[in-house]
Amino acid sequence: MPGWISQEKALGLMKKKRFPVIKTVLVKSEKNLIKNAKKLKFPIALKLVSSDIIHKSEANIIFLDIKNDEQLEKAYKDAIKNAKKYKKKVKIEGILIQEMVSGQEVIIGMKRDEQFGPVVMFGFGGIFVEVLKDVSFRIAPVERDMALEMIKELKAYKILEGIRGQKKSKVEDLVDIIRKTSLLAENDKKIKEIDFNPVIVNDKEAKIVDFRILKD
Amino acid sequence: MPNKKIKIRNLEGLFNPKSVAVIGASRDHNSVGYGILRNLNSGCVFQCKYCKPFLGPIYPVNPYAEKVQGIKSYASILGVEDDVDLAIISVPAKIVPLVMEECVEKKVKAMIIISAGFAELGEEGIKLQDKVSDIAKKSKIPVLGPNCLGIIRPYSNLNASFAPAMPPQGNIAFISQSGALADSIIDWAIEARYGFSSVVSYGNRADLDVVDFLEYFGEDEETRVITIYIEGIKNGKRFMQVAEKVSKKKPIIALKAGRTKHGREAISTHTGSLAGSYKIYKAAFKQTGIILADNVEEMFDIAKTLAYQPLCKGNNIAIVSNAGGPAVLAADYCEQSGINLPELKKSTLNKIEKSGVMHKAYSRRNPLDLVGDALPERYKVAVDTLLSEKYVDGLIVIQTLQTMTDPEEDANVIIEAQKKYPDKPIICTYMGGHFTKSGIRLLEKNYIPDYNDPKKAVMAMKSLIERFQYLKKK
Repeated sequence: MPGWISQEKALGLMKKKRFPVIKTVLVKSEKNLIKNAKKLKFPIALKLVSSDIIHKSEANIIFLDIKNDEQLEKAYKDAIKNAKKYKKKVKIEGILIQEMVSGQEVIIGMKRDEQFGPVVMFGFGGIFVEVLKDVSFRIAPVERDMALEMIKELKAYKILEGIRGQKKSKVEDLVDIIRKTSLLAENDKKIKEIDFNPVIVNDKEAKIVDFRILKD
Repeated sequence: MPNKKIKIRNLEGLFNPKSVAVIGASRDHNSVGYGILRNLNSGCVFQCKYCKPFLGPIYPVNPYAEKVQGIKSYASILGVEDDVDLAIISVPAKIVPLVMEECVEKKVKAMIIISAGFAELGEEGIKLQDKVSDIAKKSKIPVLGPNCLGIIRPYSNLNASFAPAMPPQGNIAFISQSGALADSIIDWAIEARYGFSSVVSYGNRADLDVVDFLEYFGEDEETRVITIYIEGIKNGKRFMQVAEKVSKKKPIIALKAGRTKHGREAISTHTGSLAGSYKIYKAAFKQTGIILADNVEEMFDIAKTLAYQPLCKGNNIAIVSNAGGPAVLAADYCEQSGINLPELKKSTLNKIEKSGVMHKAYSRRNPLDLVGDALPERYKVAVDTLLSEKYVDGLIVIQTLQTMTDPEEDANVIIEAQKKYPDKPIICTYMGGHFTKSGIRLLEKNYIPDYNDPKKAVMAMKSLIERFQYLKKK
């Protein structure tokens, strides 16, 4: 049966393949929390990781904009409490703490199609993908030119060029993630799906914030 | 992408046979086996002027008859003394493998299995179809079908199908996963005088699949444009590999069915194929240069222009019209689809005015409105002058019908202009019907495409522009 690989493994794989994941630490126990948090710069985000909980926001296990150790400890406790409230015998894999970045949210993904092999997807986050279905697809291999084409093809592309006085987003970094996603899927046939949602892009960088990998 | 070299299969036995056997040839007027034999020996069941009988020997095979439709019949294909190139099989599904073995022994060059009752029926049928595939694979004889309409190749006087008639000869190949759609297209083509190089219904593709036909028509001298109606693909990667190669030679236009959930359900009960998500197909088409059509009409509209006209080497189009309304519509459609309408230069207008034939209220801009009472001489000045300008890459000519309009003479003006400027595309919109028909026929006989709506003309011009850009990029 295919299943999502653990966040720990996914994080390891992405680091190995040099994906630009936002600075992330997986904490397994409360006593390591503060020590681990020292590796990151406040403000940070905290997310409980559990395969039992698919919709994190529904279960109230995401805490954003944590500014100090005290808030962090409280968030940790609350996350565990909320998870248990959501499901009695919830299996907790760990707690992710991450630096925070601001910018435009986009989605990059891959799905292995029975007919065509890996299909890479690019779209804008939130309502753009849900309501407007403003997404583009390419069949791997997706090289740089093609990746750029898929980004430019979207109706919302103008947002990345900078509107209303905002700075131009670093599209090259998105191109790079798309290309690497294609490459990873081509080289590892066991990977069925990749979901980077969101990836946040601003004028300096693009960072993968949430990531999930489905394997056979 | 796998770089396996795949040899193009020799399909001459299918498209250009010297002799044909019909196994399951029948005396019963309502049977498929009757229709196929009739199509071969007279061209069509529904007679029309494009129907021509097959010129080589035809061998009906029917163990219960001495003669079928007046032709000597054989108990088995093995009883035929001479060589048989093409065997058309229309017998109950169960005995198809047996009949195929005989065809292998007879060393036929190709087989068409019309019979239904294979993968489309589920488990049992799949097993039977696997047998068909195995025989095809082992013998290396190309096999079309099962569960298909067959093929029609007007250039070979070959109607090896149970389609009711033969379409006119032309330069467009049509590969269809639906046999019934092909039937209707043929009926329409006869009325519209729309020509085909071949029509192929490939059914359950136990052996030959859409890629084999793409490759064949990629090399076929009679084919300029390939159209495909497709529900599902078996091997997406190979399809892309072949489509990319063929696209560089000839335009491929595809119409994909099964884009929605309901559509997909209808397919899996229909031809037993898996339809991928439409977005994925769209990506695959785009990446391999395939032009995507939204509907049947659009597919053949675009195909006609791509088959008839030279590519448009730039994005600058001029519009000539004898009426304001349709010209404004055409201008709107151009802008919406990213086509530029260049301003007419003073020098151009001077040339036009010097002719002395223009109405004083003519528009003096692009679209060039010649005013309603335009006679052919006005069209001639406008069309010739605009085509002679370097900054005009292609021309759309619109004609509405008014009391003094002369559709045939206007057509002659346009035909002559194209001869003078053969590198620039011309597309016409003769709006109307009954009284413009003769003019339209004249245009199309001379390979100038006509559409009854400016939107279609603009779309067709766009396809010529995009095709040129695609080839330039490659």
